[in-house]
Amino acid sequence: MIAAAGRLDDVSEDGIRRLVDAFYVKVRADPELAPIFAHTIPGDWQPHLTKMYAFWSSVMLTTGRYKGNPVAKHLIIPGMKPQLFERWLALFEATCREQFDNATSEAFRIKAERIAESLKLALFYRPDRPWPPEPTP
Amino acid sequence: MTFVVTDNCIKCKYMDCVEVCPVDCFYEGENMLAIHPDECIDCGVCEPECPADAISADTEPGLESWMKLNAEYASVWPNITIKREQPADAKTFDGVANKLKQYFSANPGQGD
Repeated sequence: MIAAAGRLDDVSEDGIRRLVDAFYVKVRADPELAPIFAHTIPGDWQPHLTKMYAFWSSVMLTTGRYKGNPVAKHLIIPGMKPQLFERWLALFEATCREQFDNATSEAFRIKAERIAESLKLALFYRPDRPWPPEPTP
Repeated sequence: MTFVVTDNCIKCKYMDCVEVCPVDCFYEGENMLAIHPDECIDCGVCEPECPADAISADTEPGLESWMKLNAEYASVWPNITIKREQPADAKTFDGVANKLKQYFSANPGQGD
């Protein structure tokens, strides 16, 4: 269903595609995130977008369409910093609010924050250092 | 943060969770499943899928021993991503208290 101002009021495969497409337009224009993604996805973006449709479909619609190991994938990305997750989340949340009504974008935000925290812990948590980590320059 | 499999999975092992997990982080023991804490991304998709309510967020109090058990056995049991038929007597054991002590098997399951 499409609510006022063209914002969707439920999660569907179509809505997820719209969200992912709009989100990565922002990512690719973002001074902090664009170089990280450009390095990891130097050519055709469609395979990544298709993978992300499946990922969010699995997370939001419980379809089991995505199968992968995002922790391992993130571990090998050069130049990862904890604050990049904050930037990612800010853009994602902004895109959710553009595409979905408040309740639906909130549902996306909650999932995204949990997953981001979990990936951050996997990448940066060390038992002998403070958590959350100090921002690195 | 991660999700953990707890007592009520033992001898129920419905395996609905393994189908929906996006990151294939379930490992199969003879009569229980375990979540690998380094692979789980805390998406929470599995939690409501469990017919036995055996999956909890590790932020809930009192789960330390289950976190340890999940971590220990997820690293030695085989990976499972495809649901099979649950044990014939799963329903009989659903809700039985303190199954860990009486029934837990450290033996690996068959995996995929």
